Amino acid sequence: MDFKEGWSLIKRVFPILDETYNLCQLEEKTFLKQEFCDAVEFIKKINLAVHIQNLIVSKIEQRLRDEVAPEFWSYFKNNEHENKGFKQFYNAVKSLYDSYRQLEHTMRKLEMFRQATDIEEQVYNEKNVYDALKLILKATLLSQLNLDYQLVVMNFYEAALKTDDVDENNEGQCIICSQESLHCNCMHLFQETNRKLGEMTLLEPLVGQTLTSLIYGYIHSHIQKICKDCFDSSFVAVLEKWLQDIVLNWLRNIYCYDNSTSIEESMGTFEKKLINFLYNSYTKIRIDQLFNIIIEYPESLSALEDLRLCLPRTDLKSMLTKKLQNAMETRLLHPGVSTPDVLTAYVAAIRSLRVLDPTGLLLETVTQPVHQYLRSREDTVRCVVTSLTEEGPNDLAEELVRGEAVQVDENTPLDEDTEDWESWVPDPIDTTPSKYSSRRTSDIISMLVNVYGSKELFVNEYRTLLANRLLTQCLCDTEKEIRYLELLKLRFGDSQLHYCEVMLKDIADSKRINQHIKQDPEYTEDEIPLSAMIVSAQFWPAFKEEKLELHAKVQSQISKYVTAFETLKGSRTLCWKNHLGFVDVEVELADRTLNLSVSTVHASIIMHFQDKSSWELEELSKVMMCPPTVLRRKIGFWQCHGIIVETIQDVFCVQEDLENKDSNIQEDIFVEDYETESAMASAQDQREEELQTFWSYIVGMLMNLDTLPLERIHQMLKMFAFQGPTIECNIQELKVFLDRKVREHHLIYSNGYYKLPK
Amino acid sequence: MFWLHNELMTLMMSPDKTISAFPDGENFFKWIGTITGPKDTVYESLKFKLSFQFPNSYPYTAPTVKFITPCFHPNVDTSGNICLDILKDKWSALYDVRTILLSIQVLLADPNIDSPLNALAAAKWQKQEEYKKYVIDTYKEA
Repeated sequence: MDFKEGWSLIKRVFPILDETYNLCQLEEKTFLKQEFCDAVEFIKKINLAVHIQNLIVSKIEQRLRDEVAPEFWSYFKNNEHENKGFKQFYNAVKSLYDSYRQLEHTMRKLEMFRQATDIEEQVYNEKNVYDALKLILKATLLSQLNLDYQLVVMNFYEAALKTDDVDENNEGQCIICSQESLHCNCMHLFQETNRKLGEMTLLEPLVGQTLTSLIYGYIHSHIQKICKDCFDSSFVAVLEKWLQDIVLNWLRNIYCYDNSTSIEESMGTFEKKLINFLYNSYTKIRIDQLFNIIIEYPESLSALEDLRLCLPRTDLKSMLTKKLQNAMETRLLHPGVSTPDVLTAYVAAIRSLRVLDPTGLLLETVTQPVHQYLRSREDTVRCVVTSLTEEGPNDLAEELVRGEAVQVDENTPLDEDTEDWESWVPDPIDTTPSKYSSRRTSDIISMLVNVYGSKELFVNEYRTLLANRLLTQCLCDTEKEIRYLELLKLRFGDSQLHYCEVMLKDIADSKRINQHIKQDPEYTEDEIPLSAMIVSAQFWPAFKEEKLELHAKVQSQISKYVTAFETLKGSRTLCWKNHLGFVDVEVELADRTLNLSVSTVHASIIMHFQDKSSWELEELSKVMMCPPTVLRRKIGFWQCHGIIVETIQDVFCVQEDLENKDSNIQEDIFVEDYETESAMASAQDQREEELQTFWSYIVGMLMNLDTLPLERIHQMLKMFAFQGPTIECNIQELKVFLDRKVREHHLIYSNGYYKLPK
Repeated sequence: MFWLHNELMTLMMSPDKTISAFPDGENFFKWIGTITGPKDTVYESLKFKLSFQFPNSYPYTAPTVKFITPCFHPNVDTSGNICLDILKDKWSALYDVRTILLSIQVLLADPNIDSPLNALAAAKWQKQEEYKKYVIDTYKEA
């Protein structure tokens, strides 16, 4: 047998060596046992077995490179819409698989050849030739990677995933082929593709990464879908179950075809990866919603519990702190939010962060800006005190009932360290050390009081509020107030609230004294029944001062009352606040009668009109000792009721008959809402008074010591003037005050020294 | 201390602007006082500074009071010592800084010529025109 004959024999046995051979044609029939043996014989004789093997392998490589791979990748071009992607990928894999089967067939013959010729040399160091073929296939395919392939792969798996997802199943129709699900073959095609890829060990290299990112996206959108605006149920367990049941099961169905690694191993890594991702995404979504979650506390408790579970499993604590702080600042801490709302949010934050982090560190970090902000709002204290004692469902009132002494930070440190040192845990490393870290309180009222760092401010505010309520309501129903006072005493201590106690006692005493005086046979009430509220000036906050001369009839009744009181109480007398109080009046006119409860000013006005039906403003103002501007405003109340009219400029008359109701009632007149007006001097007024006290000290020191710098003035005030119940004045405030005095020419400032003008 | 604190408060709150006093620095036992010369006298509208030194036994013992501003007066010597009975043997615990200042103010208007510390002043007191010149000159020395 010559070489030429031998070569054609070999080519017949291994058709791949023939240039004209087409991969697609079937060669099964042309293989003859005899020919194979002859060829082996011949190759053995010329001792070229290894070379023939190399030649075959290189021919396979060439085929793959020049034909199979380009053909496979050509399926990935021009993909437009998703459902076509499914078919595209299916066809690509199908054609690749067919070629692979052909080459595998060649490999089988090569293996036989190797056995017959005892070749020991391995192809690419692989265990057998089939592995070698897979290796070559993988290398060749990846060397010609198409940029769009991920999109196609993504489409393919996405379509399959959607078909699997029960929710998205639209009316029993397959999404891929739009056929009835019963007749649809898509799932079979899908599994077939996976099986083929698995057989070629291309599953992980070709689709693994795309699949992972697809699943990530899928998980993310699923979480977002079920957790959106829903804080009232826990999702961790639900999500984990969903991941196991749906996602991992689906992946298992794909990866069961993967021959390269065991299913347990690949699924194990996948599971860890996905659970981690699940927690991460869920936590991130919850962190983004955290502000809303806090606002909706306690309805959102489950969401918080979830977050608490998730936080240790993820590394997102610092992100949480930052995002929440940001959210607070942009959504809460700006002038558009009213103080009660800020407080409500603050309380909700305290409560919910307590759930998240029982150590209170997180709370401290996050609420620091809120603290600072609240401090800058003027009405914070008032709002806190009001809501503390308000009726109805209210967070702060509930807190108050819980009862616990207020711990103000300036107290000496508690010796908790020694008590349970065994359970002591260091602060987490991600928090900055702060001076408060040793002792954290989670009591809400304590925290609110700590915003200012002083109980006095709160107590004073409460005192004003109480005084106002007692005076304006005139109800004398002190039972409720006493209850609140007792609760507050638990918090702030007896001594702080002593004043308020006296105030409540005054009310009760007044009631008794009134009864007593009315039983007194010496005392008579002819026209005007009178009850007095007797308050002790020392314990009540300052009243707003207003001058008012009451009507003579009232005045005479008052003097009778005073006489009775003086006989009852010996050496004491009464000092009347004419502008405070209420009068029940019945106004009888020619055609109508009105029953009203009005302030003393209003009553005095109408009583004067009873004596004389027409008054000039100026004249009445003199009689009542009330400035005309104020008086005009007060008369407005009666004008509004259609009882008094202004006939000519500054002359008022009683309107006995209401002829034409519509035109006579002057709707547009400004009606003073007297009930909302506070009887107390405002906090600002009080402060002003305190500053006035300081001013006399400042004048005193400057008069005797000539010139002083700001620091010395402050220091001396601190030494000599800040005493008793007066609240301190910090140096900034003092500077503002002194600068104002300089502007008003009460002081001269030069070279850093203040002095009095000559 | 308690006494002095209260006295300071009373002084600060009093509407009388012609007398005043304040602790000199951190020491509560050393005060500086100021009185304005009484109306219709040669001392009118002149401001005199005084130093107060309170003993520990105050108010049971009188404080030491001296003029800081030079004052031409029969009962005030050149180093500022004052001859006033309530600061010596007539002292009572009922007196306070305010009454001392008021007494000195009265003393300016109505000197005790019989027991002078400053003989020249006592001699000139009758001639008010000349006396006033001395007062102004002494005052200007400061």
